[in-house]
Amino acid sequence: MELAVATVTNLLILSSMYILVALGFAFLFNMLGIPNFAHGAVYMLGGYIGLALISAVGINQWAGLIITAVIVGAFGVFLEKFCFRPFIGDFNRIVMICVAVIVILQTGVNIIVGTEIVSLPSFATGVLRVGLVSVSYERIVTFAVGAFLLGAVVWFVNRTKWGQQMQAISQDIEGASLQGINVRRVSALASFIGCALAAIAGCMVGAYLSLGPFMGDFMLVKVLILAILSGVGSISGIFIAGLVLGSLDSILPLFVSGAASDAVAVAIVIVLLLIRPQGFFGHEVEM
Amino acid sequence: MDMIEQPSITDRRKWLKPSILAGLVVIIALMPVIQGSPYILHIFILTFIYIIAAVSLRTITISGQFPLAHGAFMGIGAYVAGMASKWLGWPPWFTIPSAAIVTAGIGMLISYPFSRLRALYYAMGSLFFGIGVIYMVYAGGIWTGGYSGLTGIGSMFGSSKVAYYYFFLGLTMVCLLALHRFEFSRIGINLKAIAQSHLVASSVGINEGWYRILAVSVGCFFAGLAGAGYAHYNTVLSPATFNFMGTLWLVMYVLLGGIESFAGPIIGTSILVLLPEFARDLKVYSPFLSAVLLLIVVFLMPKGLVSLPYLIRAWYTERKKGKKITHVSGN
Repeated sequence: MELAVATVTNLLILSSMYILVALGFAFLFNMLGIPNFAHGAVYMLGGYIGLALISAVGINQWAGLIITAVIVGAFGVFLEKFCFRPFIGDFNRIVMICVAVIVILQTGVNIIVGTEIVSLPSFATGVLRVGLVSVSYERIVTFAVGAFLLGAVVWFVNRTKWGQQMQAISQDIEGASLQGINVRRVSALASFIGCALAAIAGCMVGAYLSLGPFMGDFMLVKVLILAILSGVGSISGIFIAGLVLGSLDSILPLFVSGAASDAVAVAIVIVLLLIRPQGFFGHEVEM
Repeated sequence: MDMIEQPSITDRRKWLKPSILAGLVVIIALMPVIQGSPYILHIFILTFIYIIAAVSLRTITISGQFPLAHGAFMGIGAYVAGMASKWLGWPPWFTIPSAAIVTAGIGMLISYPFSRLRALYYAMGSLFFGIGVIYMVYAGGIWTGGYSGLTGIGSMFGSSKVAYYYFFLGLTMVCLLALHRFEFSRIGINLKAIAQSHLVASSVGINEGWYRILAVSVGCFFAGLAGAGYAHYNTVLSPATFNFMGTLWLVMYVLLGGIESFAGPIIGTSILVLLPEFARDLKVYSPFLSAVLLLIVVFLMPKGLVSLPYLIRAWYTERKKGKKITHVSGN
C-alpha cells in the first residue's frame, strides 16, 4: 500500500513537472518550428532565481515564485525576439545559439553558486494521514501547483483569444498572419508563458528534490521525448505523452534497477517513435 | 560549396592553398620539437581525436541526415576498445580497428529502422538512441564501470606523449585523406544528390536507403576509431564524456567551422578545443569565450568560420567602391 501510494504520487508529480516544462518547448516548436534546446537551461535558471529570491533576498515563498516566473518569462521574450526569430527555419544556427545560451547560463550559475547541491525551502511541511495512507504535504502542494497551472494553460489555449491565435499560428503561420493575427506579439507571449512555466517547475523541483547547474540537461531530454512523441501541433498530446513518460519513469524502477530502467524507457520511446514517426497526435511538418 | 562565390583560380593563387596546408602540416609535425611540454601535446592529441570525430560527423550530414548521436558512437568505440582491452587482454592495434568495425556495424543496424524517419525526427530519434547508449553504459555494472567509469585500459605507448602525438597525427591524416576521397568520390556525389532531393535522386536510380546507411556506417566507423584511440590514450573512460552535451559539442565543432566545406570541422574543432585551453588564465570564465565565439559566428558569419576570408574580401572591395556593406545579412 505504501509503495503503491508512493508510486502514484511520484507518477503524478513527475508527469506534471515534465508537462509543465514541455509545454513551453512545444509552444515555440509548434508555432515557429524552433527546437529550443536551451529550454532545460531556462528551467534550471528558474530554480536558481527562485533560490536567490527566496533564500538570499528572503521574500515570501509564493511571491518569490511569481516574481521568478515573471523574470524568467521576460528572459524568454528576449530569447525569442533576439535569438530565435531572426533564424526561423535555420536549424543549425538555432542549435548553435541554444548551446551558447546553455553554456552561458550553466557557467554563470557555476561561478555564482557553485556545483554543490542546494535546494529551496519546502513550500509546505507535515504529513497528511488518511487511514493507513500517509502523503507529505510537500508532494501534495507540488502536484497541486502543477495541476492548477496545467488547467490554467488548457483554459488559456482553448478558451481565450490569445490561445486561439496561438493555435491558429501553429496550424498555419502564413494563413494566421493573413487573418490579421500579430504573429510576433503572440509568439512573444507564448515564449513568456512557456519560460514562466519552466521557471515555476524549476522552483517546485528545487524545493521537492534539489537544484544543480546540470539539472536542465536531464529535463531537456524528457522534454524532447514528450514533444516528439506527441507530435507537432498538439497540446493534448503533450499531456498524454507526459503521463506515459511519468509512469515509465516511476513504475519501471520497481522492476528494473538503476540506470537500466532509464535505458528501457528510452528503448520504449524509440520503438514508439519508429511505429509512428510523425508523433502520435500531431501532423507532419517539413523542416 | 556553391553558396560562397569562389574567385576563379589564377596561376598565382593555384599554389597558395597547398603551400599554406604544407606549411601548417610541417609546423604541426615539428610541434614536439618546438614546444615539447606534455600539457601542450596533450591538448593537441585531444584536438586530433576530435577532428576525426567532427569530420566523420560532417560526412554523415552530406547525405542530408543530421544525427545527434555522434558522441554516443564515439563512446561505443571507446567502450568496445576499452572493454576488449581490459577483459580480453587484446592489444591496442587489434582493439582499435575492431572497435571501429563494431561501431560501424551498430550504426548500420540502427540506421536501417531509422531510415523511416526524416529531418528533425531523424535527429531526435538518433538523439534518443545516444541517450539510451549512455544509460546502458551506466547500467553495465562492473563490465562497463557504471557511474565511476572504466579504468585499467591498456595504454599504447606508456607515458610518452611524443609517441602518442605522432601516432594520432598520422591517424588523423589518414582518416582525413580517406574521408576526403569518400566525399569527392562518386558515392559522395550521390549522397549530396540525396541531400538536395531524395525524390529526384531515387528517380535517377540512386538507391536512397542503401546510400544513407552507407553514409552512417562510414561516419560511425571513423567515430568509433576516434573513440577507441581516445580510450587507449586516456586509459580511463567516463560515460559523461559521451553524453548528450558531448554530442552537441561535436555538432558545434562542425557548425562553427562551417558545415558546407571539408575544412570547416577541422577549423572549428581546432579553435573550440584549443581556445579554452590556451585561455586558462580566465579559469572558470573560459566557457564564456566559446559561447561568445559561437554567438559571433551565428550573427556575423552565416556559413561558419571558413567564410571569413570571403567576407573580409567582400567587405574590402565594397569599401573600395565606397558603398554600404550589405553582404552580411545572412540567407
